[in-house]
Amino acid sequence: MNLKKCLAIGLSLTMSLSLMAGCASGGSTSGAASGEKQVVIYSNADEEAVTAMQNALNSNGYEGKYIFQTYGTSELGGKLMAEGTNLEADMITMSTFYVQSAQDQNKMFLPLTFDVNTMAEVPDYTAPITSQEGAIILNTELMKSENLPTPTCLKDLADPIYAGQIAVTDIQSSSTAWLLIQALVSAYGEQGAQEVLSGIYQNAGAHIETSGSGPLKLCRAGEVAIGFGLRHQAVADKASGMPIDFVDPTEGNFSLTESVAVLDKGENTNPLAMEMAQCIIDNGRAELQQTYPNPLYEGETADSANKSTYPMTFGEPLTFELFKAHQDLSERAKG
Amino acid sequence: MKQKNWELKLIFWIIAALFAAFLAGPILLLLGKSMWDGGFTFEFYASVVSKKGFLGALGNSFAVAAASAVLATVIAFLMAYAVHYTGLPKWFKSLVTAVATLPMFLPTITYGFAIIYSFGKQGLITRLLGRQLFDLYGFGGLLVGYVIYTIPVAFLLIHNTMGFVDKKALIVSKVMGDKNLSTFWIAVLRPLLGTLAGAFIQAFFLCFTDFGIPASVGGGYDVIATLLYNQMLGGIPDFNRGAVIAMIMLIPSVGSICILQILERFNIRYNRIDQTELRKNTTRDVCWGVGDTILSVMILAIFAVIFVVPLVESWPYKVGFTVTHFQSVFSDGSLLAAYGHSLTMALLTAALGTLVAYGAALITARSTLSRGYKQGIESIALVTNAIPGMVLGVAYLFLFSGTSLQNTMLLMILCNIVHYFSTPYLMMKNALSKMNAGWETTAMLMGDSWIKTILRVVTPNAMSSLIEVFSYYFINSMVTISALIFIAGAKTMVLTTMIKQLQYVNRFNEVFVLSLLILATNLAAKAIFTWLANREAAHAVKK
Repeated sequence: MNLKKCLAIGLSLTMSLSLMAGCASGGSTSGAASGEKQVVIYSNADEEAVTAMQNALNSNGYEGKYIFQTYGTSELGGKLMAEGTNLEADMITMSTFYVQSAQDQNKMFLPLTFDVNTMAEVPDYTAPITSQEGAIILNTELMKSENLPTPTCLKDLADPIYAGQIAVTDIQSSSTAWLLIQALVSAYGEQGAQEVLSGIYQNAGAHIETSGSGPLKLCRAGEVAIGFGLRHQAVADKASGMPIDFVDPTEGNFSLTESVAVLDKGENTNPLAMEMAQCIIDNGRAELQQTYPNPLYEGETADSANKSTYPMTFGEPLTFELFKAHQDLSERAKG
Repeated sequence: MKQKNWELKLIFWIIAALFAAFLAGPILLLLGKSMWDGGFTFEFYASVVSKKGFLGALGNSFAVAAASAVLATVIAFLMAYAVHYTGLPKWFKSLVTAVATLPMFLPTITYGFAIIYSFGKQGLITRLLGRQLFDLYGFGGLLVGYVIYTIPVAFLLIHNTMGFVDKKALIVSKVMGDKNLSTFWIAVLRPLLGTLAGAFIQAFFLCFTDFGIPASVGGGYDVIATLLYNQMLGGIPDFNRGAVIAMIMLIPSVGSICILQILERFNIRYNRIDQTELRKNTTRDVCWGVGDTILSVMILAIFAVIFVVPLVESWPYKVGFTVTHFQSVFSDGSLLAAYGHSLTMALLTAALGTLVAYGAALITARSTLSRGYKQGIESIALVTNAIPGMVLGVAYLFLFSGTSLQNTMLLMILCNIVHYFSTPYLMMKNALSKMNAGWETTAMLMGDSWIKTILRVVTPNAMSSLIEVFSYYFINSMVTISALIFIAGAKTMVLTTMIKQLQYVNRFNEVFVLSLLILATNLAAKAIFTWLANREAAHAVKK
């Protein structure tokens, strides 16, 4: 009988706990300053960028006043599209392309109230924080053991000598692959790009990955000798002593930016969010540029030691329609 | 004399309400999204089905899921048989049980890595054996991954039911002069047919709906789950077409409902379950012992790498021993909070989920309610099986965003209960349907209320299954990722969502450390639950 009493009490406690859990997590009681709600920031940025942004915020008096939550690009993209202004976050940093798609669909961001002096024109609800470039990634050990010549351009990757040794990302599932396709289209036009891409896909075989960081992962694990991915990730791996190297392809290091945006929650908009966004742009760029060297704002220069060899921008504006067109190109190249 | 059954009806309506809100709601939402674009339209269906490669991917999914499910069921049966029908020493049986359920204790994200890091070009096993065993990208890798993924579920179902099958039938069969094969069929296989089918179906749908393993080792072998992922969360999220794929993925579950209905007639109820002594047969024992050892070693071998990788500097190129990865993980302040959330969520899910599964199983297996009620519950169970976690998560996003349930722990708990309902329900149903059907009637004639009968007679007999169900919910809540990543908020982050974030930035050493933490927690929990179960059994005997 004792056990049953314990069970009964346990169960009733459980029910009450879960009801409390339901209410408690909805409201915010975690260590915020009196009366002020913490600003919730959602971000798909990499670790180095997050650290830089947090440093900027903390050294300007915002420590403890925000919660930083990182997500993968796909999940955050899904949440942005599905939740719109119901998103828990007050501010986001996200691939600019997604921010624009979300704004087109949900009209969910406020125009930024501070000056954004970028070198290129950007929508008024975004301010870029990083510019991420693509590059060819090499596993130096495998290149040696398989006796492979070092590629200098993307067209080299279509050479049959690299069959089974390449990993790339599928543009169907990740926008990182766009960097590769932009470079090919810019250098060889649509038809030429499709041919080169076809050769690359043939060499990649089973290694057309769903995640943008997939090719680098395979290079690290010694599964493939060559990949295409984000340059700064390869730079970091090389610096930490792994047998990873990178090559800037002659077709160009194309880039995609990530931007900060503030959600329009009407009356519930947290005023601190806009301040923090401004703080990140004004004070965070210096540290961000250490990892992502491309200059974005007036007055910024690239660190010559760190920057890529062929930084280039695509001729047309990077819109939803262009992305779809390049996705179709990729599907045709798969044959 | 007509039984009023009001208690059972109440339970039914509570469960129905729960699933109406948290299962039917999302499905209807998806149905709507697949057909609505300002107006009613079949355009999405047409464009998805006619897209190149769709039917091929669908066929591939069926093929690899069916093959994996068959293999997993067979292996699980072999292992469960050794535990119940041989005279092997107790410690060996415990070991086999532990190994068979081990993969469930780890997040599924680790399986893909485990396979690549074990069998890849620089894999642990490749290095030990000197050459790659098989090409792990494509059907081969998927098969290995899926089989490992589904053996625990199949094993739990079969092992659970075997405990309720009366072994006296073996003796009777032998006395009647049956040959060995006949005995096997009559006394062992036939009572288990329903369960074996259930295990196959569970395994099939787990494989059919998973996209984590194809993302790692799928290679060029397209499966429908990858297509679904690309539509929902790819470069351009297209929820309408994603909803179409999700709807199409639900269709096989209709077939599974019919199969289980048909096999219901093979079910045998027992008046009493006696613990019979098995015949001594050393040859039999040795053969089974060797066979199961081989199977266990194979399963363990694949996961050995998860223990090795975090303890070296950088697999596979710098294999010096180091504890820096463990240190960096445990010095992270947000880890403790996430761990606390994980534990709370898992415990609450287990408690509430067990009640729901028990109630549902009581209705189907031990009541005189009309067929309609029972069909309802069966359909719910089999439909929850066919929904990928990611789809549930995204649907919850649409449904509950903006409501007070958004980003709360309660929503996560309910999501887990709904997502993992199938197997616990089947386990409880199998257990309850093997017990004497006359208990409720006898008790009623004696003047006891229905509740009293359930608490005093049925529950003690089903306690071992209840505890299995509790631990199943707990363990799976600790390791689930795909739905939670969408509904967890910044203040309710759990360990597995942390793992997902680490995965995106390629910090796999930390991923493995966290996975080991989850594994340790699950093992500890299992040990506690087993101890409780044994204590309860001893307690019952003493009384």
